[in-house]
Parts: sequence; C-alpha cells; structure tokens
Amino acid sequence: MPCERKPMRYGHSEGLTDVCFDDEGKSIVTCGSDGDVRIWESLDDDDPKSISVGEKAFSVALKNGKLITAVSNNTVQIHTFPEGDPDGILTRFTTNANHVTFNTSGSKVAVGSSDFLVKIVEVMDSSQQKTLRGHEAPVLSVAFDPSDEFLASSSCDGSVAVWSVESQTQVAQWKVLQKSSDVSAAKSLCRLAWLPRSGRVLAIPVDATVQLYDRNTWTHISTLSDDLSTQVVNVVVWSPCGKFLAAGTVGGNLLIWDVVAKLCVERQKHEKGFTVCGMAWHPSGGRIAYTDTEGCLGLLDGVSSASAPTSSSTTQSTKATAAKETNDYDDLFDDDDDRIMDEGMSDSHSPVKKALVEDDDDDDLMPATGRARNRASFLDDDNSQDAASVKLDKLPDEDGSSAILPPVIPAVSRPVYEGPMPTPPQRAFQPGSTPVHLMHRFMTWNSIGIVRGYNDDQDNAIDVEFHDTAIHHAMHLTNTFGHTMTDLSQEAVLLACEGTDELASKIQCLHFSCWDTQKEWMVDLPKGEDARALCLGQGWAAVATSTLMVRLFSIGGVQREMFSLPGAVVCMAGHGEQLLIVYHRGTGFDGDQSLGVQLIQLGRKRKQVIHGEPLPLSQKSYLAWMGFTAEATPCCIDSVGVVRILNRTLGNTWTPVCNTRESCKSKSDHYWVVGVRENPQQLRCIPCKGSRFPPTLPRPAVAVLPFKLPYCQTTTEKGQMEEQYWRSVLFHNHYDFLSSSGYETDSEVQSQAQKEQQELLMKMFALSCKLEREFRCVELAELMTHNVVTLAIRYASRSRRMALAQKLNEIALEKANQLHEEEEQEEEEPAYQSVAQNSLFNHVRRESRGSSQMNGCEDEDVEEEYTQEEERDAEEASETKKPCLNPFKKEAQSPERPSPKPVNREGRANPFKVSSAGKSSGSPAGQSRTTNVLDSMTMSSRKPVALSGTSKQSKAPVLKPLAPKAKSKTQATLLQMTATKASSKKQESQSGTETVKQTPAATPPVSAENTENRKPKTGFQLWLDENRKSILADNPDFEEMDVIKEGMGRFRTLTAEQRLEWSEKAKSESDLKKRKREHGGEEDEQMERDESGAKKKKALDSSAKLSAFAFNKK
Amino acid sequence: MAVMIHIRMRAARKKKKKGGVSQTREMDAAEVEFLAEKELVNIIPNFSLDKIYLIGGDLGPFNPGLPVEVPVWLALNLKQRHKCRIIPPEWMDTDKLEEIREQERKLDTFTPIPNPHYMELTKLLLNHAADNIPKADDIRTLVKDIWDTRMAKLRLSADSFISQQEAHAQLDNLTLMEINTTRFFLLDSLNYMYKLRSNLHPARTQDY
Repeated sequence: MPCERKPMRYGHSEGLTDVCFDDEGKSIVTCGSDGDVRIWESLDDDDPKSISVGEKAFSVALKNGKLITAVSNNTVQIHTFPEGDPDGILTRFTTNANHVTFNTSGSKVAVGSSDFLVKIVEVMDSSQQKTLRGHEAPVLSVAFDPSDEFLASSSCDGSVAVWSVESQTQVAQWKVLQKSSDVSAAKSLCRLAWLPRSGRVLAIPVDATVQLYDRNTWTHISTLSDDLSTQVVNVVVWSPCGKFLAAGTVGGNLLIWDVVAKLCVERQKHEKGFTVCGMAWHPSGGRIAYTDTEGCLGLLDGVSSASAPTSSSTTQSTKATAAKETNDYDDLFDDDDDRIMDEGMSDSHSPVKKALVEDDDDDDLMPATGRARNRASFLDDDNSQDAASVKLDKLPDEDGSSAILPPVIPAVSRPVYEGPMPTPPQRAFQPGSTPVHLMHRFMTWNSIGIVRGYNDDQDNAIDVEFHDTAIHHAMHLTNTFGHTMTDLSQEAVLLACEGTDELASKIQCLHFSCWDTQKEWMVDLPKGEDARALCLGQGWAAVATSTLMVRLFSIGGVQREMFSLPGAVVCMAGHGEQLLIVYHRGTGFDGDQSLGVQLIQLGRKRKQVIHGEPLPLSQKSYLAWMGFTAEATPCCIDSVGVVRILNRTLGNTWTPVCNTRESCKSKSDHYWVVGVRENPQQLRCIPCKGSRFPPTLPRPAVAVLPFKLPYCQTTTEKGQMEEQYWRSVLFHNHYDFLSSSGYETDSEVQSQAQKEQQELLMKMFALSCKLEREFRCVELAELMTHNVVTLAIRYASRSRRMALAQKLNEIALEKANQLHEEEEQEEEEPAYQSVAQNSLFNHVRRESRGSSQMNGCEDEDVEEEYTQEEERDAEEASETKKPCLNPFKKEAQSPERPSPKPVNREGRANPFKVSSAGKSSGSPAGQSRTTNVLDSMTMSSRKPVALSGTSKQSKAPVLKPLAPKAKSKTQATLLQMTATKASSKKQESQSGTETVKQTPAATPPVSAENTENRKPKTGFQLWLDENRKSILADNPDFEEMDVIKEGMGRFRTLTAEQRLEWSEKAKSESDLKKRKREHGGEEDEQMERDESGAKKKKALDSSAKLSAFAFNKK
Repeated sequence: MAVMIHIRMRAARKKKKKGGVSQTREMDAAEVEFLAEKELVNIIPNFSLDKIYLIGGDLGPFNPGLPVEVPVWLALNLKQRHKCRIIPPEWMDTDKLEEIREQERKLDTFTPIPNPHYMELTKLLLNHAADNIPKADDIRTLVKDIWDTRMAKLRLSADSFISQQEAHAQLDNLTLMEINTTRFFLLDSLNYMYKLRSNLHPARTQDY
C-alpha cells in the first residue's frame, strides 16, 4: 500500500492540536494551542481561514455546519462552519475540556473534561445534558458508539469505560492504561474509536498496541501491533470503510493495519519525529490528515487506493452496487463481500479525489477551483437527496457510506479520458482587490486611493480613502445593497453588486467631483443581468455584465454605447479615454487560461486599438492584476508574478519587465501590486508574507520594486547596458503615445531619457570597439541619432579603425538625409514661433554657459549644430504646446507648473538646492544637452574651464595674468614650450578616455594661454586656441608648427565677418586682463617669487585659489 | 518651506531659553529632544509635492500613498496638519522592545539600544501620532520600563563608583538623554564631595 506522505505545514504554535475533516471532506479543520481554528482548503492552502475561538483550543469536532471546540476558558463553544461565527456556548466545566466528539448523526456532542466528568449535550438544545460520573481522574478522550447506544471514555485513572447513554451507567470497564495525574502527564492521549456503521468493535490504544474489544460481550478479541514500532500509540482512527485502522504514536510513527488480516500495511515516519496527537480519515477514505504537538499539519495521500490493484474498475463497480444491497443487512466486519465493496468504493471514488488533488495545485485565490468544488458539492447534494429517499427504511448507521457511494456510478461509467484537461476559467475580478469572501477586505487599491469593505456582524460598510486628500476627504458608506465591486477615480466612486432573487443588480456612482448638488446616481441592470466587472475612466464608466455585454455610462449617469464581448469578462481597467477589457476567448488546457484583450479608445478618435488578441500569460498561471501605468500604458501581472507592459512601438506586443517572485524571500511570499509608474520606473506593491494579498489591518505599507527586463547575461557589462537601453526605450514609449493623442508631455524628461539612451549606445559602441567587433559597432550606430554617429566616427577614427569610420560615415550621411527630409516636411509649419523659441533658447544657453566662460567664444560648427537642434526642439515644443493638459501627470498640481520656462526657473532657484551642474542650464536647451555632454571632449578643450575646474592645471591660467613682469617672460616662454607639448599630448590621451567615460570633466586648458598673458593677442591666436584641438584630432601627427600652418589655412577660409568677430574678442579679452591685473596687484610680489622658482607648483596653487576667489567675488 | 524652517529655528530658540533660565551649563532635555528630531522616519504623505531643498539636505519627492523618509520634526509637523501618516520605526514594536527589556533586566551592563534617541522618539511619536502606531500604550510602558531599568542601573553604578572611590568607570551603550539626566547631578555632587574631602584635610591640601 504505497501512500504518499506530503510535506508538513506549519499550522499552529506548538502544543496540543487536533484535526478533522468537514462532512464532504473538502477542507481540513485544525485547532491548536494558539486558540485558532484553521480551515484549510488543501494542504497547500496559502491562506487558511482562521477563526479565533479562545486562548487555547484543545479539541475540535465538526458536523452539519457546527464547529465545536474545547477551549481553555473551561467552555465548549459552537461556531458556525464555514463562516466561523460564534454560535453560543455548549457547556461549561470547572476546568478544561479535553476532548469533544459528535455522534454519527451530529445531534449530540460528548465532552470529556479534566474535572473527571463526561457530558453528553444535545447540540440544538444545550440544556439537555447528561453527565457521566465515575472516572477518578481527568478524562482523556470520549467516543460515541455509531448507534448512539454507548459511549466510551478513557481517563488518566488508567481505565477505559463504556457507558450506556440512556441510563448513564458504566457498562464495562477495563483497567488497561497507566495511571497518571493529569492529561499533560499522561503517556498517551488514548483516543478511542468505534468501528464505523455497526460499532461492533471498539479500538483502544494500549501502549504500543491497539486492543480491539467486542461490543456484545465486551471481551478482548484481538490485538494489533507492529514489531517495528515500540512507541506508545496516541490516536487511533478507523477508515470510513471499516477495513483499516490507522494509529499515530508518540514518536511520530503512522501505522495502518488491515484489520481482517491483522497486518500492518503501511508504516510512515513523521518527518521530524514529533508526537502525533490528532488524526482524521478523509470521508472518502483516500487520505489521512494528522497533526503533531509542534502544531504542524501533515497529510498521507493515496492511503487505500492501492489496496486493490488487480481488479478493474468496471467489474468493481458492478460488484460494489451488488454488494451494497447485501451489506445493508449483513455484518460489515466479517463479510467478504463488503471487502470488495470497500475496494470498489475507495477506488471508484478516486475521480473526486483526483479533483481534490488538482485543487491542491491551484491556489485558493484561483476562482476556478471554486467551480470544481461547486461541481463536487453539486454531485454530493444530488446523491444525498437520492440516498435520503432510498434510505428511509435503512439503518441509521448507513448514513456515512450511502453519502459516499452513489457518485460511484456516474463517475465510473464515464469513458476514461487521458488527454489534456481543460482549465476551469478564472472568475471575474476587480484589479487591486482582495477576495470577496473575506470579512474585511480591500475592494480597490489603486493610485487614487483605497476602498475597504467591512462585512461583519455589526457593520456592512465601505470606507473610501484617498491617497491625496486634496482630491476628496475620506468617505464612510453603509453598504445596504451589498456591493462587492468598486472602482475609484479622481472624479467618482463606482460601486456595483450582483443581483439577488428579488433585487436586480445595481450600479451606484458617487460622483463627488460634480458641481451640482446631486452627487449620486444609481442604475438597475435588467433582470437576469449581473454586473461582473467595472471600471472608471475620465468622464465615463464601464460595466461588464453576465450577459457578455459592456455598458458605457457617462460619469453623470447618461447611458452611452454598449457592445457585446466575445467571452465572459475577467476584468476591466480604464484610464483617460482608454478602456481595457480582458475576457475568456476560449477554454484553456492544463492549467493555462485562454484570455483575450481588447483596448478601445473612447473620446474623440474612437477606435479599437487591440482587437481581442490573446493575452500572454506565464504557463499555468492566471491574471492577477490588470491596469494602466500612470502614463497610460496597459500593463498586466499574472499569478506567477511576471509583470508585462504593452509595447506600442512593436505592434502592441507585451514585454515582460519584472518578475516579482525574484524579490520574494520565501516561496509563499508574494507581492500584491497596487500601481505601476513608468517615470520614475516604479512598481508599487505591498509585500505579503505567506499570502497573496495583504490583510486590512495592520495597515500595509507600500514598497517599490525596480523593473528589470529579463535580458540574457545581465551580469556582463554588455548585457547590463543592453537591458538598460531597452528598458529606457520601452519606458519612454509613452511620450510618443501621449503626444500623438494630444496630451502635454514633459519635454525635459524626454530629452533626458534620449540623452541617457544615446549615452548607453555610445558606451556599448566603445565596448564593442574595444572587443574588436566592428560589425556590431555599425549595428549600434544605426540606433544612434545623427549627432552621436558623428561622435562615433571621431571615436573610430581616433582609435584607427578606418574601415569602421567609413561605414559610419555612410550611416551618418543617410541619417543626415533623413533628417533633412523630415525638416523639409516640417518647414511647412509656421516658422515664426520656432524662431521666437529659438532666440529664447539661445539666450538662455549663453547665459548658462557664459558664467563659466571668460572669453565666451565658440566654434562656429558647434553653433550651427546647436541652432539646428534648437530649431527641431522648438518645433517639437510648439507641437506639444497644445492647450490640452495632461491629466495623467501624477502631480495634481502639475498643470499649473510652468513646463519649459527656464529663465524663470533660474530666477527663483532655491539657494539650498545643491546645483547639480546640468540641472538648470541643461533644461532649456532640450536636446542640445545631449550633444553638450557628449561633445564634452571637444567643448571642454575649446573653452577654458575657469572657476569650476578642479584640476591643478586649470587654475594656473587664471593666475598667470597676475604676473605681468617682463623679467619672467623668457622663463615663461621656455616653460610654455615644454608645457605645450606635454599638455597637448595629454589632451589627446585624455580625450580618448573621456569619450568612453562620457563625463564632462575638465580637461587641461590649452597652455597657449600662457603666452597670451604677455603678448597682445590677435584674433587668429584666439581662434587657433579654440581650434587647435580639432586640427590635432584630424591630423594627429602634426607638430606645433604644422598645426599653426594648418590653422592659418583654415582661418583664411572663414568669412570676413567671422574674422572680425574674433579680433573683437581678442580685444575685449585683453581689456579683461588689464582689469584683473589691477586687482591682483597686491599679490604680485609673491607671484614673482613663485614664478622664478617655476617648479614650486604647490605654493602657486594655493595662491591661485585665493586669486580665483577674489576674482569671483568681484 | 521657508516658513517651516523659521518655525523650527524659533522653536529651538525657545527651548534653549527655557533651559537657559535655570541652568546655563547644562544641556536640557528639550535640547536633546531637539537633536532627536533630526532622526529620520518614514511617513506616508497624503499630498503631492516635488523635491524640497533645505539646508539639511533634499527631501522628497512626496507622492501620496508612497512612503518617504523625512526627519522627525517634519513628520510631526505634517502629522499635526493631517498631511501624513507616520510609519513607526522598526524597533518600535512590542516584541522587539520586550526582548530588549528582558535583556536589559538580565544583564548588569547596558544593552545596546536600537536607536540612540529611543526615549525622545517614543515620546514624540506617541504624543503626536499615537493613532499611527499599533499598541501605542504597550510600547509606552515597555519603553518606560527599559528607561527605568537603565536609570536604576545608572544610579547603581554611580553609587558604587562613588562609594568605592574609583577614579574612572566605563559605561557603554548609554544614550545622550541618559547621560544628560545624570551628568549634572553627578558632576556637581562629585565637586561637592571633593570640596568636602579637601576640607577634611585642609593641611594636606594647603601643602600642595
């Protein structure tokens, strides 16, 4: 008899426990010393229902929807089952009751207590009590004879007694146990058991054996023992068929005997060897639940199914029906026929059992399982009715078996199908709600607020609370209609309940944002139509019903469009003008759901965006959450924890962006998602320990998870950057969508994102270059924007990859052409606005940069580049500047916030704000910032970074003008000659690394500055200083003289105007210097000394700081 | 925000003045409490606000419903204006505090305390945000127990320190508030005792 021992589960805190099955065997009920009764749907139930019955619960019994518990406050209580509502106190003792048990019909309860008494109480009328006196020590356990004639009890005084219920006298007594003073000191709990149905035999655990006594003569008939087990037996239970007897021992052994053969057919060891103190046999006979003194719950599965491996099921069933007739009257215990019947029963009953096993795999959240159960109970109901009609003249003890037997026939006659099994479709749900059956539950938790539902004895109410109290104050509603579905938006609360026999299904809307006095409306659905799911959008509400329809309402209560769905709805979500519907598009198999999704655009441009395409889910999972991100992108999460987001740029595909299970510490932990945001990238969820959803109290706290796309090899640098790049691209798709549907977008953030993406591309480019993968470089370049490609070309040419540079050149040309074409198209739009914008941007950029520039001059090329970009920016800006405000911006106040008004921003800057270099200056320039940073290597070499420079060399030039003495001239020039070479070399190497790092660090300024201090500077020199770098870059082999020559050539090609400009600049600079000289006069002497000893760089440095400070102050 | 800073500074000044009247040397409890207000605590705001930039650093951004870490002074300020819920610090939990209390009672030395300002924070948070803290009364009792135990220990060690006329003693894991409560009294009494002792042997001291 191979049976499977399932792993133990933690059920209660340590101490005595008890276990039983409910009448149908659908759930396991346990109690423990933590005073809770738990109802387990299955052993794998993550969220057993808990009923608190007292401080400690010693024993539990369940029958006919009555849950009886012996509690530490000396009472025996009744609770309803499965609701768990207290239903009064059955009886009281002067001390604890130790064991409670029902009689077979469930009309009476026997209780054994520590005050030596045994009481028999009528369940319906607790005043009908019988007290059995005679034990001289605490009573250990009690057991009702199936025919209600006798009651057996065991006690710490060492005796086992049989009482006549009617006369309340002892019929028999055996002194077979060891004496002890108290239950806690007793060696064994000595749980007794009568043979089911006939009650012909009483089993008594005595030491390591089980003694069987005959009912008629009260004599010992046999002993069951096992050579391998010497531990004291604590508990015995009969199988429902009466053929087997199971026993649990103090040391954790589980033994099953075939009673007729007196053979031990099964030995199992408790996985930790704890004492087994509670045992119950499933009504179908296939499994045994047991609990130990450490509070754990275990299950033995397949206990009797293997007992008849030879006979086929069909013959069995016929035999079983035949046997049924006979065994009604025959003695069950010695009859051979009934043995076959039992086998038939246990075997043929296995389909039901199988269903239960399947249930174990499912989670209890899974609505599907509910259906499977319903089906089972439906069958059972039918059967019991049938049975009842037949049973009238039968013996009362037939009760147990007849309820089990009838399903045998339909179950077995069905042809055996062994293909993939259809998955029960998941039930409709509201995203962000906890299961409906809970007394206190979240009905909605979304980005707007929380709706909680209370449904207990005193109160049936709904609490609405807003995260942002600026939207509305909290509300408390009495739930007179029994609403089960809610949704919450910034405008309204929508509630709905399913219909009952008398009342139609209702939809109620609290439209709190409306400006008239009628803030509420209600609609009855037609008879026979029930609301299944609902959602709110901006200005509209949608309700999906049981007749496969979706009804749209305006937020004020006007009925709008309605349409049919191809299948039963699973859930709906609304956001702005978008309506997202998920429904069953077919039957899923082997645990998979088959869901379809529709995305419908309401509002002005009405269209269906997604036409009922299948919704991808992980294998064997169901949909757990569905909704929109704050930025209006549809997003779904399945029960395995995979978060998927719609990728609109890839033909509306779904991309997995996160797996919440990876962040969980233990297997039974889950994250309950309440919201998704794309900017910043946040998955807001509530960590739930050991369950799928949080309790309402204590108030759960929201945690934030990051997104991580499941790219390959994310441990490597390459994989990491790829993941970052695509994540950035994916999470900024919404800008295109929002701007295309006419909403205002934050161009600052968008440009920042673009910059980030281009930087990542450049990094990947550099990495591929390093790895000598030129083809890959070209592939990457194709993703880049035109400007970055030019940068890449420079990088390639500098690292002497001419072939690559050439390829890139082609790409750059192509991109330039594309750009050109686009521009031409855009030119048709009115230009004046963009010009105005342009000048603004220029102005701002000058301002921001001018502060760090002494000679404020720029390369013409760069200037051009910028203007180009700014034109584009301006156009973009003008496009996005449509009057429509973006309602999805998280910040409710944000509409008033000036979006790109950089000048203002600069003006009211907070003095405490740590100025992160880019923040103020970069914002207005928009895209130009991209190039700003990326071009850093060229830019920084062109303009001497004056005050912000940190490197030692950079301070020197500021200082130099302070030493105008003619005497130092020769020395200075000497110095300069060497310095020039050194620094120019340095620059080269440094700029190389810079492109890789992409940091706008200050490079040493051109040392030619030094000469300028002494000689009057010409415009050409100034120009050369600026452009030396680019000349060197193009011709890395040039000597100083060659550079000058080349520079001369280039300078000549400039227009007269430009040349004039340069000479102007030269003049103004010399003026500037003069002023500085005057200022720094005091320090001249010290300067002199320093200059003469040109190598004392350090001393020079500190003074440099001083002078810089002085200059700055001015 | 500027207003908030102003208020906080004014409050600080007020506290100082109060202390200043009676004792000029001693740092009074209000000042210690003021220091404790710099500790960070998580709150769940019910309003939305961008990052704010203060001398002490940047705070925020505040998103309704999303926990954010702020100093206690701001948390209490917001709480009083019904702008947030305070999430009690991790150690403010009956189980953890009970454990500490047991430890404190078992050992002769001072046990390490989860927060250097446990007493001040408990007082501040429980006085102003008791509705956000589960089992507030139990926590108050527990912290008071811990405090009493520690103060008793402190007095005991001060007593043995003086009675045995030790030159130095080592006391670990004392919090600022605890030091502050005993410091003035201990120092003064030592001074007096020194004076009294030196008066006992006037001749001797004169020699030196």
